[in-house]
Amino acid sequence: MENRIKNVMSAVFDIPFEKINDESSPDNIMSWDSLKHMQLVVALEEEFRIVFEDEEIIEMLNYSSIKQNIAKKVKQ
Amino acid sequence: MKYSELITTNRQLAKRVNTPPYNIAILSNIVVHPIIDFVEYACRIMNINATAIVGDYDNIIQDSQKYCDYDATIIFWELCNLTERIHYKIELFNDEQINILLDKTKSEIDYVLSKLNKTSLVIFNKFTSFPFSRFSPNINKLEQFSKKLNQHLLEKAPPNVKIIDLEGIFASIGIYRSIDFRFYYSSKALYTIDFYKSYVDHIIPSILAINGKAKKVLVFDCDNTLWKGIIGEDGYQNIEMSERTKSGAIFAEIQGIALSLNKSGVLLGLCTKNNYQDIEEVIKHHPDMKLRMEQIAIIKCNWDDKVSNLLQIALELNVGLDSIVFIDDSAFEINLIKEHLPEVTVLQVPERLYYYPELLRENLGLFYNLSNTKEDLQRAEMYKQQEKRESLLKKYTNVEDYLTSLGLEITVYEDDQSIVSRLSQLTQKTNQFNLTTKRYSEVDIMNFISSSDSKVLAFNTNDKFGDSGITGLCIIRFDKIQRTALIDTFLMSCRIIGRNIEYAFLDFIIDILKKNKTSYLKANYIRTPKNEQVNNFYDSCSFSLIKSDSNIKEYNLWIKDYKPKRIEYITINYGK
Repeated sequence: MENRIKNVMSAVFDIPFEKINDESSPDNIMSWDSLKHMQLVVALEEEFRIVFEDEEIIEMLNYSSIKQNIAKKVKQ
Repeated sequence: MKYSELITTNRQLAKRVNTPPYNIAILSNIVVHPIIDFVEYACRIMNINATAIVGDYDNIIQDSQKYCDYDATIIFWELCNLTERIHYKIELFNDEQINILLDKTKSEIDYVLSKLNKTSLVIFNKFTSFPFSRFSPNINKLEQFSKKLNQHLLEKAPPNVKIIDLEGIFASIGIYRSIDFRFYYSSKALYTIDFYKSYVDHIIPSILAINGKAKKVLVFDCDNTLWKGIIGEDGYQNIEMSERTKSGAIFAEIQGIALSLNKSGVLLGLCTKNNYQDIEEVIKHHPDMKLRMEQIAIIKCNWDDKVSNLLQIALELNVGLDSIVFIDDSAFEINLIKEHLPEVTVLQVPERLYYYPELLRENLGLFYNLSNTKEDLQRAEMYKQQEKRESLLKKYTNVEDYLTSLGLEITVYEDDQSIVSRLSQLTQKTNQFNLTTKRYSEVDIMNFISSSDSKVLAFNTNDKFGDSGITGLCIIRFDKIQRTALIDTFLMSCRIIGRNIEYAFLDFIIDILKKNKTSYLKANYIRTPKNEQVNNFYDSCSFSLIKSDSNIKEYNLWIKDYKPKRIEYITINYGK
């Protein structure tokens, strides 16, 4: 699962796969703005065939939170 | 393909596609950024080096000026954001308020259309109230408003504007797959990525057509592709393509669609492993067969492999492999072509036969032409004449004798506005005999015609077998102070090559330049993968090569040094 998330993030933000870690967030990824965040959300939804709620979308502003939110839905 | 893969692939394609840049501006009053990757990707896989940018948010009016010199413009002018939250507030407006808003928006539409009147292709989405007002049994104010705007748009839109019906897209993928209210309320982004995929499928035929990438030839296998059954095994009596039987009806429909494509100028061909006599008998005599010899431009019916046959078809019809669509029921043949001739578009007859007509209809956009000119409609007939000319050629051992026997005549038209749409189309479709391969819209051609700094010369060809229509074009730009001129465009339709018409035309052009007191002429050959045959054209016409690299050869000519060829067997008339 982690690799799939990193692949999506790497595609959307145009950054190398290896550069993504638990600390990754808009603070250290320059291209992560509100537009790209929207694209990231829909790309992840398509990748994992899930739908995020409003609150989750706002919460998912770093890699570890993204992981948690997806893990929660994929397990269910 | 998943969205994230598409983004990555698009980025890789950006580095690989090296054709001239094609700039697309997307003007919008809502957030539509994901469309960039979809539209760029769809262009780049067709070798169009597209770069798309989205203008400033809710700034369509100003942006129409800012991006007016782009190659194409896409306009997302959403009703729901014409003014803040109009999608429900309008129901509270009185008539006067509505009229004020209506007049204001109409004049904004007029302004935008006028600013973009030089853009070759403007893709303008029809207004729609559908996302917000499809439940009310009455026609509400939002719907009425939308109808009035569309009526205005349809009345005012000039030919360079292609109007797209978003409701058709909603209908084909479903409204809930098209609209994402989450992002509408949080970020003013209304559409889903599924919507953008489908939207780009809708608009790409226009972009391909204007870039000269529309398909020209549709080639069918025969057994289980044009009819149900195998002629060599089931026999003439047992193959089915009658509207009156269940499987027959499907093939009758396929032939009907092919026939209407042929009417609009698409050439039809057959490529099949069969005995020629069997196929000929069906085409000539079978009562249910809709495609007769008159409609079929070429038949390759033999036991050779289909790769060689398709290559031969491209050669004989003088089209690129990428102009051909091939349909076959055999996975083996389809994969063989995919592997060896990846430029050919292949369609396999689906196992569930009832999807076959749908498959063909889905792909009709490949043949889409921005304007259907007289030449398109006659093209199939003209190729038939071509065959007669070639069979005559076999009788003559000397090509000159043959050409003399044709009774060739060309009629040259100078700055003639009545043929603008054909001239634009020639620039978009001609790939082989084209020295600079510059693509021009009707608006561009009109500008060349009306300017005193340029001249547009075109010619019509005919011979004893018939009229080939407007088949050659030359655009000249003048620098009157320096008394120099530049050949901006010099092209000829491939169906008239090999008759030395280009030399007669150039003689005529030089005569006109002399009358114009031009003393010095410049010309370029810009190399493309398809125009190798004219690599040395200027060398053979007294021009001197002054500079050359892998992309471009630059020539010049002192008009007084020009040695006319005076081809005796071509008569030149002056059309106007």
